[in-house]
Amino acid sequence: MRFLRTRLFDLVLVMIGVSILTFLMIRLIPGDAVAIMLGANTEVTADRVAELRGRLGLDQPIWVQYLSWIGGVLGGDLGVSIWTRRPVLDEIIGHVWPTLQLTVLALAIGAGLAVPLGVLMARLRGRGWDVGLQIGSVMGLTIPSFWLGIMLILALTVLAPEWQVLGYVPFSQDPVGNIQRLILPAFALALPILANLARLVRSAMLDALQQDYIRSARARGASETSILFKHALRNALIPFVTSVGIMTGYLLGGAIVVEQVFAIPGLGRLILGAIAERNYPLVQATILVVTFTFVMVNFAVDLLYALIDPRVRT
Amino acid sequence: MSATVQTAPVRRSVSGLVTVSALAVVILCLLALLAPLIAPYDPLAQSVLARLKGPSAAHWLGTDQFGRDLLSRILHGMRASLGIAAGAVGVALLVGGTLGLVAAYYRGWTERIVMRLMDVIFAFPVMLLAIGIIAMLGPGSGPTAIAIAVVYTPIFARLLRGPALVITNSDYVAGAKAIGASDARIIFSHVLPNLASVILVQTSLLLSAAILVEASLSFLGLGTQPPTPSLGMMLSEGRNVLLLSPWAAVFSGIAILIIAFALNLLGDVLRDALDPRLK
Amino acid sequence: MSKTSGKAAFGTSALAAALLASVMALSPATARAQVLEAAVDASPAGLDPHLITAFTSFQIVNGTIYEGLTTIDKDLRIVPGLAQGWTIAPDGKTYTFKLVPGATFHDGSPVEAADVVASINRVLSKDIASPLASRLAAVDKATATDASTVTIAMKEASAPFLTALASIAIVPRVFETNKDGLQRQPVGTGPFRFKEWQPNGFIELSKHAGYWNKAQPKLDGIKFNIIPESATRQVGLSSGQYAMLPNIDAATALQLRGRPGVKLAETMELAYTLVGMNTSKAPFDNPKVREALNYALNRGEIVQAALFGAGVPGGPLSPALKDWAVNTSSFPCFTPSAAKAQDLLKEAGVTTPVAVTLLVLPRQDIRDIAQVVQAQLNKAGFKAELRIPELGQFVQDWRNSNFDAFVSTNAGSVDPDDYFFRTFRTGGSTNVFKYSNPAVDALLDSARVDLNQAGRKAAYDRVQSLLACDGPAAFMTYGQLFTASRQNVNGFDIIANRSLMSLANTTLAR
Repeated sequence: MRFLRTRLFDLVLVMIGVSILTFLMIRLIPGDAVAIMLGANTEVTADRVAELRGRLGLDQPIWVQYLSWIGGVLGGDLGVSIWTRRPVLDEIIGHVWPTLQLTVLALAIGAGLAVPLGVLMARLRGRGWDVGLQIGSVMGLTIPSFWLGIMLILALTVLAPEWQVLGYVPFSQDPVGNIQRLILPAFALALPILANLARLVRSAMLDALQQDYIRSARARGASETSILFKHALRNALIPFVTSVGIMTGYLLGGAIVVEQVFAIPGLGRLILGAIAERNYPLVQATILVVTFTFVMVNFAVDLLYALIDPRVRT
Repeated sequence: MSATVQTAPVRRSVSGLVTVSALAVVILCLLALLAPLIAPYDPLAQSVLARLKGPSAAHWLGTDQFGRDLLSRILHGMRASLGIAAGAVGVALLVGGTLGLVAAYYRGWTERIVMRLMDVIFAFPVMLLAIGIIAMLGPGSGPTAIAIAVVYTPIFARLLRGPALVITNSDYVAGAKAIGASDARIIFSHVLPNLASVILVQTSLLLSAAILVEASLSFLGLGTQPPTPSLGMMLSEGRNVLLLSPWAAVFSGIAILIIAFALNLLGDVLRDALDPRLK
Repeated sequence: MSKTSGKAAFGTSALAAALLASVMALSPATARAQVLEAAVDASPAGLDPHLITAFTSFQIVNGTIYEGLTTIDKDLRIVPGLAQGWTIAPDGKTYTFKLVPGATFHDGSPVEAADVVASINRVLSKDIASPLASRLAAVDKATATDASTVTIAMKEASAPFLTALASIAIVPRVFETNKDGLQRQPVGTGPFRFKEWQPNGFIELSKHAGYWNKAQPKLDGIKFNIIPESATRQVGLSSGQYAMLPNIDAATALQLRGRPGVKLAETMELAYTLVGMNTSKAPFDNPKVREALNYALNRGEIVQAALFGAGVPGGPLSPALKDWAVNTSSFPCFTPSAAKAQDLLKEAGVTTPVAVTLLVLPRQDIRDIAQVVQAQLNKAGFKAELRIPELGQFVQDWRNSNFDAFVSTNAGSVDPDDYFFRTFRTGGSTNVFKYSNPAVDALLDSARVDLNQAGRKAAYDRVQSLLACDGPAAFMTYGQLFTASRQNVNGFDIIANRSLMSLANTTLAR
């Protein structure tokens, strides 16, 4: 209980820190919303710039801006998009599903394939395969996902020109089209995750196989398969779960690039667009929401970890 | 066959990989460092008549859309990319490592404040924070390096804090304290050397990742800016003319892959080789 | 002088439309809805025709969702739009427009003179703060004479007024004081009505069944897919997922040329690339240094290297404006000479190499051009550095004249006055060069109120030669503009000002 209280307290601290950093990061950007909002080919008087700045609240001291923003956020009001005057929350909700689907699909592909692959790698340790698989997994880690994405798209035009791979359709509208369009970007995004997790499973497995209880199980005459799956794999799953939390962060970041390549209207595109047009409320809210999600995932993983491994509860 | 049985050929193949990857990294670094001396052409010299050409005797890797020699640009690009990555990871190691050690050594409120601060930075997805920082500083190789450094700082802080805690609590540090050694002396002569292998492994892995982050940022138009070649920038420029002439994109892509691969492999095999449990 | 124009032109286009319609009637009835899938590179920030500033927004709404009283046709001439004709008082101070009969808004209400008046008032309103306001600066008052007649009283004669009106969309009168209503839910009179916008995904338009020109539109709808990556757009067109990539650059077009099932349309752009110089500070306050920069540029080489040969060197006006543009052969500085540039720098008394920083618009083709410019300048006595900031920063530095020189593009305009006046006149709203030349000012002031074409032409010829070699901008190139489409897309005309209004005439064959 005490552990949970400390963790919760820390969580609140981190979120306050995140909100301040997010807020400052955008406000410290050279350039201002008004200048950009008015575009390159306009004729504006200083009066109009000032008036607009007032309307956006940019004429107040920065801490007042922060407090009124964070006050609104806590009250469930993330602000209004500068251009469309739509609630920021609506904009985020409109972009959240593609990203969520993409990351979950990528995680599923990465994690799903990583376990058998990792076990295989551990199993094959000591044979010529080992080096090959290790090199292969490092290769998977170091292929830039955008590059892989472009190559996949190009390859597909040659191999299966009829396959509609670009853009996004909601699952509810066209489930087949939805998966068909997301599977390539999810794979491009998943490859590094797959490689990383497979290596993790491999080394955790090898690690586990050194432990005394495995030795004694072996001494008791347990079969290799039973040792591998019942004892070693279970042990390997702890660090596996932990790093899935961290992976979420890579996925959310990687999605920005992959969405750009495959033209998926997700949060990454929303953020890049909002930064380019200095849509303060939108940028802040989106970064805050994405980061909050990431923090919560890690918090959940932390708790799970503590549940599994009592030593952590100090 | 039991997985625990360690046969001689395996260890030889792993140590062989260490040698091979270390050698590859050294060669790549030398090529990058010596780029101004060994590059056959000025990487910025344009020649409109010789643009978008494939590999030839005059231009081993061909030319880009301005007729610039791709081999020369890739050599200089490696220099820029490795420079950014090394600078960024170096700063992250210095700042993050110091913070991690300080936290582990002093514990209490110092540890709490430092680590919560690291948590705040660590709470952001890597690309998201990097993009935010570059949005703030403006695109370019300097801001890219700074962004990567900030993003990786908590990784080193967290990485070093854990093992440092163990060592700080160990008998021999207690012994050193008992004989009146100063804090700095204990940290530098007792704690740090014991962490060398962890640092070495993580540094080479992060260098590899930094090369990829630089490439991704350049792809989004936020990284290194023309005309200075960096590998990510070349790849980003090359993709615009991919179907006219794939050489720039293909060769810069391969160069990124080779460098990131060599560094990552080095970190990977070093980890295996240095991990006492796997010996 | 009093004239009535437009009726004849309108008649011809109606006839052509009727002919096309009959051809259409002969073809088998279309079973499936004909929706044209287009791919564009950037998501518009909003769709209010009086507030948007970006090309990416304009091309989606102007001529498709919205119309003005006048229209610019594919030869860049002024033809009737929502006004079927007009008369101009001899002193040029009163315009009377007769609205086309049967026009309705997408919400079903009829288009009346009061809507036109409201739209003009909306653009002029301080509260709305429309960037188009300056185009109507000469307007004194618009009044509805009857339901289908609008009278516009002018403060002074304005030669470019009819051109300007083409860009002033007519919206329902209820929006006169509504600042935000049209950004998301545009309501116009054009052949297509707004259907759905999935931000960063697509913008879909559907046929406006009550369109006043009964022969249009021929498509059931248009879907503008927003695809940021050029390679992705190319693949989408090659595979047939998209039927059209409107207004693309040469690099993209060349990669699509010759692909099975793909065709290209091209035209000379109105927009041009330039090196703009800050005339308020060293070294470009010295006309000789500006002239040196002009000589240092090899425009032919820029066309080859950065535009892949698809373009021409150009002066202050686009060669596409055949009625106005002066041939560049009359500008001596368009014959590149690094030696002459060095001599001029010596005459100017500046120490060489002259160190300058070029602020570069962060767009791929401009980045490319800037790299060539940099190499050329460095061979002719300059030491140029590139600074390529993020777009917002660029706009701010540009607006505040925070540069030695910049490399960018300028949209140009159909009537020379529109852009000459705001760009090069002393105190002009986009005169970020801080250029001030009394001779240019006088010519621009007189040409603006001169309704005599020959007189205006003479004045603008003179302006062009004054600006060409030691003016504040080194005019570089006019590129070819391309539209790539699938073979089965018919009836689309590419227009130099990037308007997609001919989508109203476009059909999709089976």
